[in-house]
Amino acid sequence: MSRRSYSKHIPDFRLVTYFAESGDSPVHRMNPWTKASLLLIVVGLVTVLTELWALVSLFVLTMAFYAIAKLPVRVLVGWWTLPIMFVLTLSVLFAFTEPGNQLAGIDLLGWRIALTENGLMLIVKLLLRALVVVNYSLALFMTTRYTSIAYIAFRTLPKTLANMFLLSYRFMFETTDEVSDVLDAMQARSGSLAKGVTRQTRIFAGIVGISFVHAFERAERIAKAMEARGFAGEFPAVQKVPGPSSRGIALLVLASIAFALATYSRYFEEKLLMWW
Amino acid sequence: MAHVHLEDGALSLPWLAFWSAIALALIALALYLLRRKSVSTRTLAIAAMCASVGFAASQIEIPLFGGLHLNLTPLIGILVGPPLGTLVALVINVFGAAVGHGGWGTISVNTIVNSIEVVLGFYAYRLMRAQMKSGRFAPGFGATALALVVSAFVAGGIMLVSGIQDSHLTGEEALPSLSVLIAANIITGIGEGFVTGYIISFIGRVRPDLLAHAEGLSPTAAEKTIPEGSANV
Repeated sequence: MSRRSYSKHIPDFRLVTYFAESGDSPVHRMNPWTKASLLLIVVGLVTVLTELWALVSLFVLTMAFYAIAKLPVRVLVGWWTLPIMFVLTLSVLFAFTEPGNQLAGIDLLGWRIALTENGLMLIVKLLLRALVVVNYSLALFMTTRYTSIAYIAFRTLPKTLANMFLLSYRFMFETTDEVSDVLDAMQARSGSLAKGVTRQTRIFAGIVGISFVHAFERAERIAKAMEARGFAGEFPAVQKVPGPSSRGIALLVLASIAFALATYSRYFEEKLLMWW
Repeated sequence: MAHVHLEDGALSLPWLAFWSAIALALIALALYLLRRKSVSTRTLAIAAMCASVGFAASQIEIPLFGGLHLNLTPLIGILVGPPLGTLVALVINVFGAAVGHGGWGTISVNTIVNSIEVVLGFYAYRLMRAQMKSGRFAPGFGATALALVVSAFVAGGIMLVSGIQDSHLTGEEALPSLSVLIAANIITGIGEGFVTGYIISFIGRVRPDLLAHAEGLSPTAAEKTIPEGSANV
């Protein structure tokens, strides 16, 4: 756990890393390539599936995946706040203007604002889609060790991008702590980010400005240390991640077939999924 | 807050493929521009630090209007330049997607919007700084506000063109709702302009060399402007 995370609503990278490094479950033992490939398929599935039952099934499956990984469900529910907020921000504006049967409504200054069946369904589906991916994504990162993520990043991303990604991840803990410390210091002096506009702007600017200046200074020191240790543009991969097992390949093939069928059904033959 | 805060599944597959292709082209261009002059270890470390601070700072919630947070991409563009800034924005978006702050699929759309912020932030700051010799607040504010206002329209345009999955509204019918979102993003963008103006002023006082690239100064000329004891900030 970080010394003080900003909020229980934002996933704490230390907690995520703690579960990834110390957990032991069937999902932890699953091949990282298989888990990472499944993330792409899950994103693809929530993009092409539109039937409510299919999205609910996917949601249940990802919850089961998370539970099998022996990860704390209560923490996950707290971390849903951010995606739920983003979905509602967007869909609430649409939900009240969608055509269809009205479920509830009020007259406001001569305007009729009504929630329709289509509007409600839009919110529910967007929420389900978002939470399916959040469940799976967090389960993936809370069950996969840093060395495996590093290896996959180096095998799949351009070298510059992989280096940036992994260095940022390593710096994340320190910078998060530093920003937390500044926020702690502010609150210890009875400060708050919700002050008058000018004062609030200056306070926030001070926090971010100091963080950036310190970040640059730290980066310069780290760069010198890396060069002194013979850094030649690539971090050595400490642990090679083998390819998926035959069972992993079978799972990926099945998931890919499901995605291909769902895509075909959505864009080429609408009734395919209902053929039985 | 000028991200397209769409979660996964909000855009349809064809549009996702379309925006992903554009985002990949932008990333490829940024990598190409960086490789033309080899990426030093210092540049790499600075970019990584910027990404981690940018991500950490963008997670701070300001308790106003149900919770606001800042984007900081124009600031990142001013500090590290357009190609590196585009990659930093991409890394921040990947971290964000990992924790549910935007979707994996919408990384492409966010990268397009953020690249515009980074590029506009950098060049608008350089131009305004050259025109206004009075201080750094006004160029910092102006460049950020301009970048975020333009990106708010781009983000709205992307949503208008792509549509939201399962919404039965036509583009014309969705326009009023999207206008509200664009207006909210513009207001936040102007607010972020003030914050960035103060940050740029602060950085300019303690480490003006960090702004040398954006201000078109040579590193040696910029180093002469570093005040004594700035390393202890």
